Amino acid sequence: MKRQLAMVIDSASCIDCKACMTACKVENKVPPGNWRNWIKEQDPDLEHLNNLEPMHFQPGNCMHCDNPTCVQACPTSATYKDNKDGTIKVNKKLCIGCGSCIPACPYGARYRHPEDKVVDKCDFCERRRARGELPACVTTCPTKARTFGDLKDSNSEVARLLKSDNIVRVVNRETDTQPNIYYLSMTAPTDWPVKAETPSAIRLWKAINPFVWGFVGLNVLGVLAMLGKQLLIKEEPLEVEHR
Amino acid sequence: MPAKPDTAISRRSFLKWTGAATAATAVGARTPVLHALVPSEETTASGKVEHHFSVCDMCLNKCGLIARVEKGVVTKLDPNPKFLKSRGMLCARGNAGIAQLYDPDRLKYPLLRKGKRGEGKWQRLRWDQALDYAAEQLRTIAEQYTRCGVLFSPGSDMQSTFVHWFAEVFGSYNVTTHESACLLSRNRAYLDTFGEVPFSDVLHTKYIIMAGANRFEALITPDSIDLMTAKQNGCKLVVLDPRYTKTAGLADEWYQVRPGTDMAFFLALMHVIISEKLYNADYAAEKLFGLEQLAEHVKQYSPEWAEVECQIPAQDIRRIARELAAAAPTAIVYPGRRTSDYVNSTQIRRSMAILNGLLGNWDRPGGLLAARQVGLSKPELPEAPWYEDNPEDRLDMGRAHMMFEEEGSFKHMRDAIIEAKPYPIKGWLVYKHNPLQSEANRQRTLEMMVKLDFILTVDIAMSDTAWMSDLVLPAPSYLERQDPATGLQGSSACACVVTRNPVVPTLFESKPVFWILKELANRLELGEHFDFTMEDYRKQQLKNLPDGERALREDGVYYNPSKLYGVYEGRVYKTKSKRIELYNERYAEMGVDPMPVYRSPREVPAGRFRLVVGRNAYFTHCTTQNNGLLHEFMPENTLWINPKSASALGIQDGDLVEVISAAGKGELKAEFKSGIREDTVYMASGFGVLSKGLTNIYGKGACIAEVLEDYSDELSGNMAMHETFVQVTRKVA
Repeated sequence: MKRQLAMVIDSASCIDCKACMTACKVENKVPPGNWRNWIKEQDPDLEHLNNLEPMHFQPGNCMHCDNPTCVQACPTSATYKDNKDGTIKVNKKLCIGCGSCIPACPYGARYRHPEDKVVDKCDFCERRRARGELPACVTTCPTKARTFGDLKDSNSEVARLLKSDNIVRVVNRETDTQPNIYYLSMTAPTDWPVKAETPSAIRLWKAINPFVWGFVGLNVLGVLAMLGKQLLIKEEPLEVEHR
Repeated sequence: MPAKPDTAISRRSFLKWTGAATAATAVGARTPVLHALVPSEETTASGKVEHHFSVCDMCLNKCGLIARVEKGVVTKLDPNPKFLKSRGMLCARGNAGIAQLYDPDRLKYPLLRKGKRGEGKWQRLRWDQALDYAAEQLRTIAEQYTRCGVLFSPGSDMQSTFVHWFAEVFGSYNVTTHESACLLSRNRAYLDTFGEVPFSDVLHTKYIIMAGANRFEALITPDSIDLMTAKQNGCKLVVLDPRYTKTAGLADEWYQVRPGTDMAFFLALMHVIISEKLYNADYAAEKLFGLEQLAEHVKQYSPEWAEVECQIPAQDIRRIARELAAAAPTAIVYPGRRTSDYVNSTQIRRSMAILNGLLGNWDRPGGLLAARQVGLSKPELPEAPWYEDNPEDRLDMGRAHMMFEEEGSFKHMRDAIIEAKPYPIKGWLVYKHNPLQSEANRQRTLEMMVKLDFILTVDIAMSDTAWMSDLVLPAPSYLERQDPATGLQGSSACACVVTRNPVVPTLFESKPVFWILKELANRLELGEHFDFTMEDYRKQQLKNLPDGERALREDGVYYNPSKLYGVYEGRVYKTKSKRIELYNERYAEMGVDPMPVYRSPREVPAGRFRLVVGRNAYFTHCTTQNNGLLHEFMPENTLWINPKSASALGIQDGDLVEVISAAGKGELKAEFKSGIREDTVYMASGFGVLSKGLTNIYGKGACIAEVLEDYSDELSGNMAMHETFVQVTRKVA
């Protein structure tokens, strides 16, 4: 991996204003009822007003994981980890919209686009980056809670921030996907990511996949052998068939 | 009008520009740009992408933005990183400006009412028909009832200045704006203490007390953003609020104060500060007027006394007083903005202003700041005509002690129109203002409308007020308009000038109110007073700012590097005593308490609740609830109710309830909130609409204007929206 694009989020400065969610929705034409990003909320127990933990908001989006369960769940390899920038991408031409990757994401970062019939999720605003701009959520944030950049570039702001103590990642205990969204010092809530679920058909498919490819490979070899045979051995005259 | 090519930003300059944001970081815009990601070549682009500066109009903050236009369509609004007042941000509403521009619910052409008011039967008119009709109606009223027989109500808008000018030229002094539903009591209090309305240097402060303000939800630039930065820099935030808002939740200390008792808290703080001599005596001797009277006055207000009133422990009041005094003058008792809450709001806010004065939190870093020089000139326009037959004063004159002559009071104006005293008003011109949703007691506003022969509303969408009007004219959104220049105060962030040019051509048949008024003026033989173009007007505004036009063109904003601190050095205060007035002699002369005297708010009767209203970060008053992007965050409003109180009434979370006051009623779902007082309920504004032209929200939630009774502040005439007691009952389906 040449680069690993990532976000470091100072969730303590989030005020839950929804600017990032709206900016993302407009930039990426996300249809009503669906979101590419979110703000989770930790609401303190108000039964004990005298000993109140502060309110806490936690912005997030696709975590562009190093161990992406969504990639493992995709039957057509439409979802993959880009080896140039480390983002998890969806090749919309290959996506068959089966939705297997949706429960495979512990963060609920994916949705099936109701019109395009393919899966969609955060791509760190790829088109904006191509224009030299930052992701929409990063640019618009009032308190600049989100910092975006390349982890592998030691001069980047994200790399600098990651050197500080108490960096945390929000992970499900049973499915640590090695996310690339990092939170500064502390964050809450942390108990919301779910265990990645891969549909059994996909698991079966993935399990037999090597054998299937072996089978296909043997077939290809057979076809090639036949081709070679046909090229090397002169065909019998066609008339023979008509006899 | 098509977007002017010279105002378009080329992609190259845009890239250069976002690079410049790094420089802006140093001065506080905090918009980081990752250089590694900026391509060295212009690699993008199927099709032409243009970028245009504009200024947001989704609320009153006027944040600088850059609109991206692809193939003639606005595809994204991004913050202008050079716009320091907003610290280079654009909030949810700012981002949703696109949904206002391309809203299918927009008014598309002039509409004349057919059938009864509010029946929703309209006839499409051509513009010349609509304007002829409007001019004829205005002329008829003027002839029969004098020119003051027409009330003008401009909303907060960069073109509203022309509505004020039109009213003046037409000859009516009867103008009410949105302000008497908002901040007049705060303005009154600070004018009568410091001689002007201050701005808060939140960024540099070390201690801030917020009461009757919710800055992390009701976003005000730069205060809301600076509050977070200040907190990160160690500033302490103390919040008084009967409900657990996001500001309360993110504060260092939150006190669930008994509503309407804030003054007791501030008087007790002064009691401690004066009795323990925690103020700067030299400063007091030089700058303050009436310290002796104040010292005597606050003797009666001990923290132990205040504890009973506010339900805030006396030991905390004492400690906060000492902490605040220790931090002063790098401390702020936050003045707030919407202070339309109680019948004594001016005096409540004056207790806060006096405390700021006592501690010298004024004209120095981290305190309250005087307005800075912006440098815009007032264009010279031909003198407005004088009409001999006009009455002497505004219709609402004298109905409150100390109203602002240019603002009046909507509540008192409405009462006077209904009573037709001292003279009748028969016409109403409304521009981007929606009193049927924003002014307490909707039934009274409807009653007032019955008295009117002609109601003309100019707006972008079919607001409730438009829905009940006789003639509705479609206005373009801010992204389609050319506007005058306007000056903005951003405390330590800036004093700046912004303007607007069209980002895209106007949609449908919409026309800016400037054009509409010009056409009406021509039809009323007043054309000479509107014989100027927007370019002329703006040129005159900028005539003393030689660099203004260039800066607006190249940066989207002009900064005046005017004096920030020490503005009052060697200058006298614009008060009667020429000092900061702890004791106000003018008040005493008028029979008004010269210092705030505490009177306990009315007790909430058994079985009732006090209704409070407020904001969140994704709605502006009653204007954005129908926005296609924003309404997804809150498709309908709910009644915040404490679970304990609800259970006693057999109400479950999510149940449909009826909220009833002496003014009206509404139905909405109950939402359990353990962070609201047991004697208080809350609901968001902008729902329960009358207009079927607001398709996303029609039939959803309840309307605050319907339920709120129309109490008002005794001094300023500002609406008092936290004085209403309601009954809440479970609605059986």
